[in-house]
Amino acid sequence: MPMESVNGSPAAHALDLHKAYGTGQAVVNALDGISVTFEQGRFTAVMGPSGSGKSTLMHCMAGLDRPTSGRSFVGGVDVGSLNDTELTRLRRDRVGFVFQSFNLVPTLTAGENITLPLDLAGTKVDKGWFDHLAGQLGIAGWLTHNPSELSGGQQQRVACARALISRPELVFADEPTGNLDSIASAEILSFLRTSVKDLGQSIVMVTHDPRGAAYADRVVFLADGKVVGEMEQPTADSVLERIRLLAG
Amino acid sequence: MWKITLKSLLAHKLRLALTAIAIVLGVTFVSGTYILTDTIHNTFTSLFSTVYRGFDFQVRGVAQFSGPGTAVRNPIPESILPKIRKVPGVEDAAGSVVGYAQFVSHGGKAIANGGAPTIGASLHSKTLSYLHIVEGRAPTTSHGVVMDAGTAKKYHFKVGQQVRVLLFGPPRTFTITGIARFGDTANLAGATMAAFDTTTAQKVLGEVGKFNAIYVKVAPGAGKLAIQRDIARVLPRGVDVVTRQAVVNEAISSINQPLSFLSTTLLIFAFIALFVGAFTILNTFSVVVGQRTRELALLRVVGASRRQVFRSVLVEAAILGLVSSLIGLGLGVLTAMGIEALLRGFGISIPSGSPVLAARTVIMALVLGVGVTILAAISPARRAVRIPPVAAISDSHVVDVSLRRRFTWGASIAIAGAAVLGIGLSNHAVQLVGLGALGVFIGVAMLLPAVASPLSSAIGRPLARTLGVAGRLGRANSMRSPRRTAQTASALMIGLAVVSAFAVIGASISKSVTSVADNAVSADLIVYGKMSSPMSPGFSTTVPRVVAALPGVTATNTIYGHTPMSGQFKFRHSLETLTGVSARHLAGTIRLHMTAGDSRALASGTMLIDATVAKSDHLSVGDTVPVRFALTGRSTVRIGGVYKPNPIVGSYLVSDSYYLPHFQNPLPSGVLLRTSGGSAVEREVQHALAPYPNVQVQNRAQLEHSQLAQIDKLLGLVYALLALAVIIALIGIVNTLVLSVFERTREIGLLRAVGMKRRQVRIMIRAESVILSIFGAVVGIIIGTGLGVALASSLGSAGITDISVPASSMVVFIILSAVLGLLAATWPARRAAKLDVLAAIAAE
Repeated sequence: MPMESVNGSPAAHALDLHKAYGTGQAVVNALDGISVTFEQGRFTAVMGPSGSGKSTLMHCMAGLDRPTSGRSFVGGVDVGSLNDTELTRLRRDRVGFVFQSFNLVPTLTAGENITLPLDLAGTKVDKGWFDHLAGQLGIAGWLTHNPSELSGGQQQRVACARALISRPELVFADEPTGNLDSIASAEILSFLRTSVKDLGQSIVMVTHDPRGAAYADRVVFLADGKVVGEMEQPTADSVLERIRLLAG
Repeated sequence: MWKITLKSLLAHKLRLALTAIAIVLGVTFVSGTYILTDTIHNTFTSLFSTVYRGFDFQVRGVAQFSGPGTAVRNPIPESILPKIRKVPGVEDAAGSVVGYAQFVSHGGKAIANGGAPTIGASLHSKTLSYLHIVEGRAPTTSHGVVMDAGTAKKYHFKVGQQVRVLLFGPPRTFTITGIARFGDTANLAGATMAAFDTTTAQKVLGEVGKFNAIYVKVAPGAGKLAIQRDIARVLPRGVDVVTRQAVVNEAISSINQPLSFLSTTLLIFAFIALFVGAFTILNTFSVVVGQRTRELALLRVVGASRRQVFRSVLVEAAILGLVSSLIGLGLGVLTAMGIEALLRGFGISIPSGSPVLAARTVIMALVLGVGVTILAAISPARRAVRIPPVAAISDSHVVDVSLRRRFTWGASIAIAGAAVLGIGLSNHAVQLVGLGALGVFIGVAMLLPAVASPLSSAIGRPLARTLGVAGRLGRANSMRSPRRTAQTASALMIGLAVVSAFAVIGASISKSVTSVADNAVSADLIVYGKMSSPMSPGFSTTVPRVVAALPGVTATNTIYGHTPMSGQFKFRHSLETLTGVSARHLAGTIRLHMTAGDSRALASGTMLIDATVAKSDHLSVGDTVPVRFALTGRSTVRIGGVYKPNPIVGSYLVSDSYYLPHFQNPLPSGVLLRTSGGSAVEREVQHALAPYPNVQVQNRAQLEHSQLAQIDKLLGLVYALLALAVIIALIGIVNTLVLSVFERTREIGLLRAVGMKRRQVRIMIRAESVILSIFGAVVGIIIGTGLGVALASSLGSAGITDISVPASSMVVFIILSAVLGLLAATWPARRAAKLDVLAAIAAE
């Protein structure tokens, strides 16, 4: 079932986000007044050099970290106004995550890792949806294996299935291909692309790879904690071009 | 979440096993104690039911006053027996005499099994007796004796042989006419039995014309209640009739007090072990939560609530506790037998039977095991909850909690504990003392991280200097995480604190005893009963006469009473033990330090009391006090003087001319001798007393020495019981080391890659372990010494007059701890050294 648009509001948006680490002289402004909108049913890539604030932006918008000031919304809900329990529920039910370092629970099998958010919530697994995801990702044969028995690409496909199992409104992917070879990367990115196109899934992906960004509908460029530009329907070349421009 | 908890448990079998051991051992100790005491209780219960059978009623003197477990009763005249026999419905009745009789072995040694009684008895009617002659026959003359089968077998006696028997009067030689068993068993909890015909028994055990009890059997089908009433009607004042069941119940309840003392003592040590175990568990869970930070954070990211994370850690603890408790319970059965053997090794004999597992034991084991584990896991679980979800992604994230709050709490708890301890000590409230000590330990454990780094640094300095880079790294590792170092050392700290507290108390008792021998006695030689068996209130009255007649013995002073079975009297409202001595030779044999009045007042029939009694009862010289004796009834006595506590004469002292008429068969419990010569006279006395193997002759130095040896033996037992707590603490160290080796896999791999040898890796881990151990030991000894001094000084009234801190023992404890630390590191060090360099570096 594709994600319907909720009152036509964006999947997520941020208003003047600031995030400072450290105090006094050593203060680092990871986010320096970012306002950005991620639309429903679109695949948005966030790009920028190391230290540009890509990951921090994602953490703050997903409620993993608290911004110093400013507000962020997921589907119209003010993330900053939620207490810990509500944040937990938000992460569990409305947001999915894919990380660079796979981040599977080592003691659980691949299948158990996928259903973990549902098990935590105490809700029943939609068997059809589970099988669909496993089939789409080509991991149906690996479900009883432990993460340590899987390759990096396989682990990341399990992580993708886990992110989508609860049919979240929005998936945050933090450098999902950062630890993968080019073939495995292409598989993951294709899957994400397909889920946006076929299911209307909203995805925000942080990446520094122009080829990865080319899978997205739109690219937002960050530098020094600020939005410095964006691009619709990117290609690897056009993204590379823009990066060169920004760096120059 | 259940699945994750279970999987996490199973995924770390090693960690699981090591943590479990701590709980298993504690629970084993607790359940073992219960099983042991229940088993003993059960054994005695069935023994008493066996022994007391065949009769329906017992007729006996009314209890004059009941002491701890035993009632003092006067014998009854044998003239009652024919009257009872005439009561309609009575089928049979027989008088019974019981007293002290002790066999002498072929080798001339007095036979006694641990503290079990040596019983002398009359052999009466066959139907009523619990003795079953299995070989030979009952004696027909006054020269015959029947011996119990256990003694006959153990000491190789046969029917027809001669045997010497020690009695109240002079020892006599009898011919064994038969061997008997107690009901169905050969052994009555180690007791020995010499049975005589009734007339002889009256002569050698009791009093001519008197019985201790009359056993009655009623005709089948007769109404027991009516017969009991009819019997009561023919009895004189001061004699009553009770049912068999009442006799059995009395006998059973008489063993409950010593048994509950035994179980309380053992349980105290069991709880110490569990308490130390709790610290080991706390430590392991802390480290584990630390290592699982990433995983727990990941769970939070994908939607686990704080409550779910908290519960997952606690459920893990609960499962661990449950499994360990069940194992501990099983081992408890084995341990019950082990403790029994241990106690037997220290001369405390207890009867054996098949182990009894009561429902209470199972419940206590599970509640304690699971409870302690969960309690210990609460703090780590709270820390787990504080892990923010970002920790799953950003490596650098460290959960640091303010130590200031912890220190504030720690200091408050320690101070409150010390206060409660102080109150408990001054009021002699053992529970408060325990609670206070608990508070001090927890408080200090919380404060420990504050000193962990500097102390580890100081302790590690010599290691760092002598062991090169490996030593330096070991030292650095021990300083790296003050909290973990402190937590690991806490368990050992508590173990050693208790050990050193006992060491201080032991040393103080030893020192006090030494001064007793000098301050309490001025006699040259001391004769006293060898076995303080409950049935031997003293030794033969001929002993003082024998030694007094020897040339070279210039003065003797016979001590009466002052044993658990003799000298009992009511002083005002409490049951106390009276001591009688000769007033004439008092000065030359006993040192009495009078604080009021004059010791010569003894001669005029007054009583001297020690200063403790005078103070607690608010008595002074000239006061008149009501007293009561089993034999002679109520009376009053005047206080003639007050002396400083003296262990030789106890707290209530009268002259022998006052003492003797008030007691049935008064027996000497000691003889103090002044001699004119040295060792020649001593040999003379030894020789003269050879026929009395139940007495011992010692000079002052020997007395002191034997008392010290007794204390050392007791202290040895205490150390053995505490060993378990120390072992648990060591398991905690092993656990921490294994976990930190695992945690530092990468780092160790790196060290190996840049050229560290396997041997150096081992040294590094061992150095860390030794530093941890010494750290725990030093803090523990400091606290334990303080605790020991406080305890010892509050026991002044119990005879601890001098406080002594055994510095040499403390040094030994530290060295021992270092060695144990080295041992604890063996396995973790080997694991670390075995790590494959490449794999270690590749490890995430």
